[in-house]
Amino acid sequence: MTQTALLVIVHGSPREESNDDVRRVLDHIREGGKYDQVQAAFLDCNEPDIPTAVRQCVEAGARRIVCVPYFLHSGRHVALDIPQILQQCASTFPHVEIFLSPLIGSSAVISQILRYRARQAVGFSG
Amino acid sequence: MLLISHGSVLCGADRILEEHAARLGSSVYPIVEIGFLNYSAPSFEAAVARCHEHGATQIVIVPYFLVAGKFVTADLPIRIGAARKQFPELQFTVADALLDAPELATAVLEMADRAVLLPQAIRAARVPGSECQLRPDCPLFNSMACPRSSAR
Repeated sequence: MTQTALLVIVHGSPREESNDDVRRVLDHIREGGKYDQVQAAFLDCNEPDIPTAVRQCVEAGARRIVCVPYFLHSGRHVALDIPQILQQCASTFPHVEIFLSPLIGSSAVISQILRYRARQAVGFSG
Repeated sequence: MLLISHGSVLCGADRILEEHAARLGSSVYPIVEIGFLNYSAPSFEAAVARCHEHGATQIVIVPYFLVAGKFVTADLPIRIGAARKQFPELQFTVADALLDAPELATAVLEMADRAVLLPQAIRAARVPGSECQLRPDCPLFNSMACPRSSAR
């Protein structure tokens, strides 16, 4: 059966707490068990970078890699950098199918989290 | 409820935040506004003034940020401090950034279901956007990713 990896593409932060937040979110995804592999790749500040993470997924047996930009806004990174780097990866591994999704900021689930954060802050149900 | 974001020079970068704001109006939050710390309009200050004009007595500021970095922990409190002075009758509460909300995992999986093969994803990203204003300071200006690029 074709192995599929989920590659979550994160900006990366010099603050270790922020990277720990992302790791906890990835742990939640792993617990769901939908993907054979769940990995993070960082544009900046952290490792692995995208080409390294893609190579690791392939070496671990993935023949299909689904990339999700862990970004709230469409900007240079989402519109330019990530597609360009992934295109290079696709030419390095022509036998691997690389998929790219919209950024997570376009999900309505994010609206629900914003509502929940507001509710937490004021301490009443809403 | 006031959703606060960093702001961007990118044309149409405010559209996503507007979409969230549109989903969040409710009887509990009859007023939902968006504001930006930099570049984009309305500014944080203009957004606070707008909430005040609409009759708000309490403003819950929700940072549209994944991490509680410098903008949330340093810049935003300074701007809120100034707003408190300008509107002493308004009560301000600040919510957490998104941080490690477990629902972020749901958002990632939902987007993953919408992934398409790379060449198609890149073409989809270049669908002409009516919001493009061909601004020379936009990072996508004259690049392949600009929706109005002549290179398309």
